[in-house]
Amino acid sequence: MKRLLSTLLGALAIAAIALTTPAFAQSKGKIYYMVPTLLDEFQTESVKAIETFLKQVGYEPVTLNADNKTDLQQSQMNDVIALKPAAIVLAAVDFNALKPSIEKARAAGIPVMIFDRQITSTPSDLTSVAGTVEIGYVAAGEIQRLLKEKKGDVKGKILQVLGDPADPYTLDIQKGFEEKMKEFSAVQIISLPAMQWEASNAGSIVADQLVANPDIDLIFVHAAHLAVAAVASLEAKGKKPGDVMLVSSNGAPVGLDLIRKGWENVEVEQPLYAQAAAIAMFADKVVNKQEIKAGTYKVLGLDSALTIESWGPNLKIPGAAITKDNVDQPQFWGNMKAPSDPIKPVE
Amino acid sequence: MISSRQRALVEFLLDNLVWLMLIVVLAVFSLTIPNYFQIGIFANIIEQSTFVGVMAIGLAIVVIAGNMDLSIESTAALSAMITGILFASHGIGIGFTTTPSWLVLPLSLGIALFVGAIIGALNGFLVVKLKMNAFIVTLAAYIWVRGLVVAISGGRSAQDLAPEIRFMAIKTFLYIPYIAWVAILCFAVFTFIMRKMPFGRHITMIGGNAVATFRAGIRVDRLVAISFVLAGAISGLAGWLLAIRTSGATANLGVGMLFNAFAAVVIGGVSLKGGIGQLPGVYAGVLLIYSIHTAINLMGLPAHYTQMILGGMVLAAVLLDTAKLQIRQKLA
Repeated sequence: MKRLLSTLLGALAIAAIALTTPAFAQSKGKIYYMVPTLLDEFQTESVKAIETFLKQVGYEPVTLNADNKTDLQQSQMNDVIALKPAAIVLAAVDFNALKPSIEKARAAGIPVMIFDRQITSTPSDLTSVAGTVEIGYVAAGEIQRLLKEKKGDVKGKILQVLGDPADPYTLDIQKGFEEKMKEFSAVQIISLPAMQWEASNAGSIVADQLVANPDIDLIFVHAAHLAVAAVASLEAKGKKPGDVMLVSSNGAPVGLDLIRKGWENVEVEQPLYAQAAAIAMFADKVVNKQEIKAGTYKVLGLDSALTIESWGPNLKIPGAAITKDNVDQPQFWGNMKAPSDPIKPVE
Repeated sequence: MISSRQRALVEFLLDNLVWLMLIVVLAVFSLTIPNYFQIGIFANIIEQSTFVGVMAIGLAIVVIAGNMDLSIESTAALSAMITGILFASHGIGIGFTTTPSWLVLPLSLGIALFVGAIIGALNGFLVVKLKMNAFIVTLAAYIWVRGLVVAISGGRSAQDLAPEIRFMAIKTFLYIPYIAWVAILCFAVFTFIMRKMPFGRHITMIGGNAVATFRAGIRVDRLVAISFVLAGAISGLAGWLLAIRTSGATANLGVGMLFNAFAAVVIGGVSLKGGIGQLPGVYAGVLLIYSIHTAINLMGLPAHYTQMILGGMVLAAVLLDTAKLQIRQKLA
């Protein structure tokens, strides 16, 4: 009996301590981050960044991986809505298919913040993006510059290696890129998709095209891990760094390494840390359903424009072009130096 | 009534139908697609066939033995990732070196084979000893092994294998990279084993009728287990070659290759019921698939066409298999 009593008292004491710990007291609630996949360095690092920043502003982050499956992400949304969290951060597998889930969550009073993959077909509570179409614009600008420097004019043959053709992310980059290149009639663009974003598929495309079109001036791949396979194919065909220009997007560590080695000319960065920091900065306002005002906000030192669009507050953070001149700057997420200063919520 | 000579000719054609299809497809593509007919493109087709080709050897052995192995793709990915982590110098690679430096080649190969063999042995144990269904066991392995790849890599990639390994993808002999020669050598060796050695003949017998084979005094369980270990080790080899080609590994490396390997095995004339099939046919199947992939790359067609064509070819191969059986019955 004595032993039973002491056990019960011990359990009560532990429960009391747990209930009065500062961590429990400070928690403002759970925020679920719906990540589309973990087979990609950008997404893996986004989990770390979002979890770190949300903790800094007092929330308890929980991440669910959809494994690139739309139906799975829809089911996860349904489950999370039933749990009534403080908010949901969504990086959608499919931009359109998740629209009903967003509407369902908001109807249940759960705010939804859109991360990285913009959804304009339905209102949400905050969007934090670099803009995939804009990545295409930045890449086009850099590619025009590179062609002009090498050939005296914007002309030549470009091999564009997309990601999986079912992924709207890569299609948006393609759209932005081709829109800006349209006016240059002397540029021929050959576009081919690397199924399932698989590196060896990209390598095969590059190997085939180097044989069929040996006069390719520049290769533009839609992700840095595909650039690695492209370089392996260039190397196998006896090419040296600089023989064929290479541009990639997303700013992953492997892309930055390729710039340092001279294989890659430009990496168009998605400002991952700033995008994630913005979610944490505005989390209180979103959760408490306070008004978010349009204007320019400093997000990790980057001037970012917040506009009120038909789909809600939209924060666009500028993507940067990384070259050998600035490759070592710590703000690029590819250098894996997450900001150490704690995030401050927007007042 | 046909003569024995005509019958032999028909039998020969039936046995080598996939090679005929390959020749016809290559001829049509060469005549109709600009830049297709050149040595560089044919070398590319052989190089690109390397990974699925090697995986398909292991898969074919298991299927001929009357079982199934869905884990080959993930096993290859695991071997590739472990090779990348240990021997690549960037990303998550720790850049392990050896003295003398050339030792890194056999060491990395040995590790990749060992990793694959372990997964295969686990599959074999569950199927043979615990009598679990091979489809379910290897499906589970397909899932958990890929999960393991993501777990050990943290979703990150390893890049830059040592030059002592990378030369296998860069150096060529008769325009064909060394890694592709490894695949060709594997097909030659395993064709010999399956045709001429007791192991191969017994595996085919088991796939045809496991009970009769057991009654003939052959250790069926042991051979089935070995077939799984072999399939795992061969997948490990495929992963090693894949890592060499891409100079490292990403968490999604090899995704989708399982289905190409299955398509190659079926197109190559291996019966999914077991007991029938020859490895040269499987190699022809792989070459056929990558001839089409390359054609689509050169034509700039949307990649979905490859999947549609492949699906159609697999169906056609199964129909052909049925037709071949009927023709053979008429000839008998």
